[in-house]
Amino acid sequence: MSFYAIVSAAMPQLLYGARLTILFSIAAIIMATILGLIFALFKLSPFSVLRKIGEVYVHIFRGLPLLVEIFYIYFALPMVLPMHKWFDPYFAPVAGAIALALNEGAYITEIVRAGILSVDRGQTEAALSIGMNGFQTMRFIVLPQAFKRMIPPLVNQFIQTIKDTSLLSAISLSELTRQGQIVISTTFASLQIWTAVAVIYLAVILSLTALSSYMERRFQIDQR
Amino acid sequence: MISVKNISKHFGRHQVLKDISLEIAPREVVVIIGPSGSGKSTFLRCLNGLEVVTEGRIVINGVEITHSKTNLSLVRKEVGMVFQRFNLFQHLSVMENITIGPRQVLKMSKVEAEQRAQALLEKVGLKEKAYSYPDQLSGGQQQRVAIARALAMNPIVMLFDEPTSALDPEMVGEVLAVMKDLAREGMTMAVVTHEMGFAREVGDRVLFMDEGCILEEGAPGQLFNNPREERTRLFLSKIL
Repeated sequence: MSFYAIVSAAMPQLLYGARLTILFSIAAIIMATILGLIFALFKLSPFSVLRKIGEVYVHIFRGLPLLVEIFYIYFALPMVLPMHKWFDPYFAPVAGAIALALNEGAYITEIVRAGILSVDRGQTEAALSIGMNGFQTMRFIVLPQAFKRMIPPLVNQFIQTIKDTSLLSAISLSELTRQGQIVISTTFASLQIWTAVAVIYLAVILSLTALSSYMERRFQIDQR
Repeated sequence: MISVKNISKHFGRHQVLKDISLEIAPREVVVIIGPSGSGKSTFLRCLNGLEVVTEGRIVINGVEITHSKTNLSLVRKEVGMVFQRFNLFQHLSVMENITIGPRQVLKMSKVEAEQRAQALLEKVGLKEKAYSYPDQLSGGQQQRVAIARALAMNPIVMLFDEPTSALDPEMVGEVLAVMKDLAREGMTMAVVTHEMGFAREVGDRVLFMDEGCILEEGAPGQLFNNPREERTRLFLSKIL
């Protein structure tokens, strides 16, 4: 069989996997961004309890291999917490998405924190001096300026997240990598299928990159 | 209007303000001079709670801002502040810089806030710059926008922290002119500055600060022509 025939026969299965890869990526990126924003604000909080919580979060989830975190949430946690019953029959995708989000969120915490700290202290002082409270100062003055500077490292992290979804194959989630393995197990066409898988990953990631450079340009023009 | 009683301020073990007391009356213009590191900027920043005093009390318009239960945001919207480095919001246009306080803090409508902003821009001579961004303005223009931004909150007192020190010499005049207008209109002002001409012309009272203390105070004529303290004399001889 020709290269083309093998790949096109496998394509429906691979595209199904690609769809799941994209869905897991989107879910993980959204959750991780929310976690990152919350824990970054914790780490910059005047309250030492919140600061400690933020530090512990980052240390744990940045400090462990993602695969170990996935196994821990999927296999180990249900031993003490009946999570698999709460989310039955969707525990595998839920556990996978949570593990991804917690891990990427730890990195995003540091990205957001660095972005906030990069905004000149005078901006905060000026906002406070016209009577804004802490929330308004963050929301209207600091975060908009920080966000623009956070785009490049955030895009890096989002790309990392997309690639990391491949580890979900270890808990049998039929995302792109797992689908590739399944096809190969019956066709033995390693070269053809892994090439197709690689090309699909690249296509997904390059379209994210294109979107982000468009956003960056928009922000330069509209938002300064 | 402002009553400061026995305040002290420490940064770690270093004491930057030592037992300062001061009364500022409504419509009074108080100018604070002194060598750098004398604590004059820190003192000014204590007056709107940007720095927290270690000891003592500050009462502004009947509200004790040094009380731990006081909501500082409520006090700050009545106390305008102008910074040495302008601190305009870089991501907002001139118009947005001026209207964001009235809209978010005073909950004013967009139309009303923008009308007032237009009037203030006219007052500081920058009517045509409403839709420019801070980095498109000169230092002097930025500082005049910063003054308009503070005035937009309708403050009862204005604090100026070396407002002309970061400006090129040819731009100092335009900022001082705006400040003189304000003083003439009866705004209560506390001004930290090295502009002795301004102090002489519009100051009701001049304070000389050194090493965290108010060493000497008096009417500009008396303090400049006839200082009582040797250190005041020395300082003036260096800068006049």
